[in-house]
Amino acid sequence: MRNITDTFESLKIALQAIKANKARGLLTTLGIIIGIVAVVTTMTAANGLENSFKESISVLGSDVLYVSRTPWVHSGRWFEFRNRQNLTLKEADKLKTQLKRAVAVNPVTDTRRSIKYRSRVIDDVSIVGTTDKHIVVSSGVPDYGRFLNHYDVEYKHFVCVIGSEVKKRLFDTVDPINKKMKIGRYDFRVVGVMEQQGGAGMFGGPNFDMQIYIPITSFMKAFGGRDRDFDFVVKAPSTEVLPDFEYELVGEMRKIRKLKPTDKDDFSINQMSTLVAAYNNVMGVVVMIGLLITGVSLFVGGIGVMNIMFVSVTERTREIGIRKAIGAKRRTILTQFLFESSVICLLGGLVGVIFSFGVTALINSTVMPASISIPIVIIALAISVLVGVFSGIIPAYRASRLNPIEALRYE
Amino acid sequence: MAFEIDNIFKIYQMGGVEVPALRGVSLRVKKNEYIAIMGPSGSGKSTLMNIIGCLDTPTSGHYFLEGEDVSTLKDDQLAVIRNKRIGFVFQTFNLIPRSNIFHNVELPLIYSGLPASRRRKLAEEAIEKVGLSDRIKHKPNELSGGQRQRVAIARALVNNPSIILADEPTGNLDSATGAEIMTIFDQLHMSGNTIILVTHEQDIAEHAHRVVKLKDGQVESDEIVRNGRYAAQEQSA
Ligand SMILES: Nc1ncnc2c1ncn2[C@@H]1O[C@H](COP(=O)(O)OP(=O)(O)OP(=O)(O)O)[C@@H](O)[C@H]1O
Ligand SMILES: [Mg+2]
Repeated sequence: MRNITDTFESLKIALQAIKANKARGLLTTLGIIIGIVAVVTTMTAANGLENSFKESISVLGSDVLYVSRTPWVHSGRWFEFRNRQNLTLKEADKLKTQLKRAVAVNPVTDTRRSIKYRSRVIDDVSIVGTTDKHIVVSSGVPDYGRFLNHYDVEYKHFVCVIGSEVKKRLFDTVDPINKKMKIGRYDFRVVGVMEQQGGAGMFGGPNFDMQIYIPITSFMKAFGGRDRDFDFVVKAPSTEVLPDFEYELVGEMRKIRKLKPTDKDDFSINQMSTLVAAYNNVMGVVVMIGLLITGVSLFVGGIGVMNIMFVSVTERTREIGIRKAIGAKRRTILTQFLFESSVICLLGGLVGVIFSFGVTALINSTVMPASISIPIVIIALAISVLVGVFSGIIPAYRASRLNPIEALRYE
Repeated sequence: MAFEIDNIFKIYQMGGVEVPALRGVSLRVKKNEYIAIMGPSGSGKSTLMNIIGCLDTPTSGHYFLEGEDVSTLKDDQLAVIRNKRIGFVFQTFNLIPRSNIFHNVELPLIYSGLPASRRRKLAEEAIEKVGLSDRIKHKPNELSGGQRQRVAIARALVNNPSIILADEPTGNLDSATGAEIMTIFDQLHMSGNTIILVTHEQDIAEHAHRVVKLKDGQVESDEIVRNGRYAAQEQSA
């Protein structure tokens, strides 16, 4: 009870003191404000990145392996992969028959073309040649209409399934089903629209919503099949057996490629976890930079607040003397000044959080979806109070140790 | 017995040189005494008051406040004594400029941890005693010197202390205002308080019934005065 009264009174006294020096308080908290904006933005950005990343790789599936000519993530060892053979459709067929455990083996290839419907044109759209197995190996499903089927692939139908964003931008409110659209020079009939999947565009990966799927056979007819490089999307029976399955897959691929035991693999196996690792690296750097900025500005801000607290203690030496003379203990004076510095920093933190909402809105409308969460706000405010306590402790201690008589005599 | 000081020395160190401010002062003060301390500048009056007020500790000697030896207490223990048992009135008022009258008077009660409702009641009573109830929300700089000193007196007596100490309380006031302040001290004395005040002025000292004169850090004289204004008031009462 006693402590609560003390605390409450200290807080009141602190607020009073700050009110008397508004402009100075605000100026010194600039560093705190910048620091808090930095920490909130970093955490929010990290959160946003993580969410969109998770969303986009969930499309890839954790039980799926990709056989490709080159690895997705590597550190510039192009020369190692330069002489590798392209993966061919024939090899895909062989793999399908030899790798019995595979749930599905789906060859895919892609190119970029302009697309057109009536007068609307979108340039440089990713066109993916695939098969009816596509929806087995990936989590994307049609929102309406249907996906490519077995006959489309077999009879080289010029049909396509479009991503949700393609639909929006090319057809707007028109129902695209059975409409003819141009891909490159060719007419394709729309048979389905995919569900929205969220983009991985930020990570240099594909934005699935801006893709168009066509039968791989029609793809080769329209855009040429010779010298084309394919990826094989291979679905394992389950995530648990993935390591075993990968071993088996490598074995079969080596057989297909007729490699000697001493030869190195001339193909690469990619999977989601490779991306996760790469992503974590990038993320680590982003967070590090953010924390560095945060740390530096909070440090500078903290020094500023400490300085202002020293000034405040000196200016109010007489007041401290008065308070001690009428019975304030050391601890009372200490808490009074600690409260003052904490409240200054907390106010700075609040301003910082408000600014952060602006910055986040900006990020949200330009770079990626991002929103500030309550825990982030709480952490930010806690940090600012902590900085307040740290920068106030030495001045407050000095104030609490003042000799009352000398303090009273101070002019 | 209100307090007793016994052979007190206070020696200041000034760059290696010892400056004795008090050299063996002894004093016994009974409850409800009204004492004026006089003496030339530098004779040690303030030093003595600070020790009696527990703002300072003697270099040697003993100080018994209501029988308890307080000469060896630590900082925070002295703070409690200043808070509960001493009321100090300064020449320069020493109010907190940012706080209004009420808060200034309430402050000692906050430091003794009283709940707000009780603080309000006691502070309002004290402010009423010094006749400033209509100025309760004013800041010190909106008051005259005499009014400020009354606020300081209200603050000194709000915790119902054993001793009220006043170091030249009228030193910054003109003589008419000083006289008003002295009537407040007289009233406090009549209602049972123990009062010790330092003054240079004979007519202020005449309010007291005992005058202690210091010289060079020693008691030069200590006598009961019965012919002062105090005596006249006592006779008429
Ligand atoms: N903090 C200090 N350091 C050194 N010497 C001091 C200190 N305080 C007081 N003194 C010395 O102690 C002596 C007594 O001082 P004190 O203030 O008690 O005198 P006083 O009687 O109150 O004088 P005045 O009438 O001018 O107020 C003086 O010589 C003074 O210089
Ligand atoms: Mg003096």
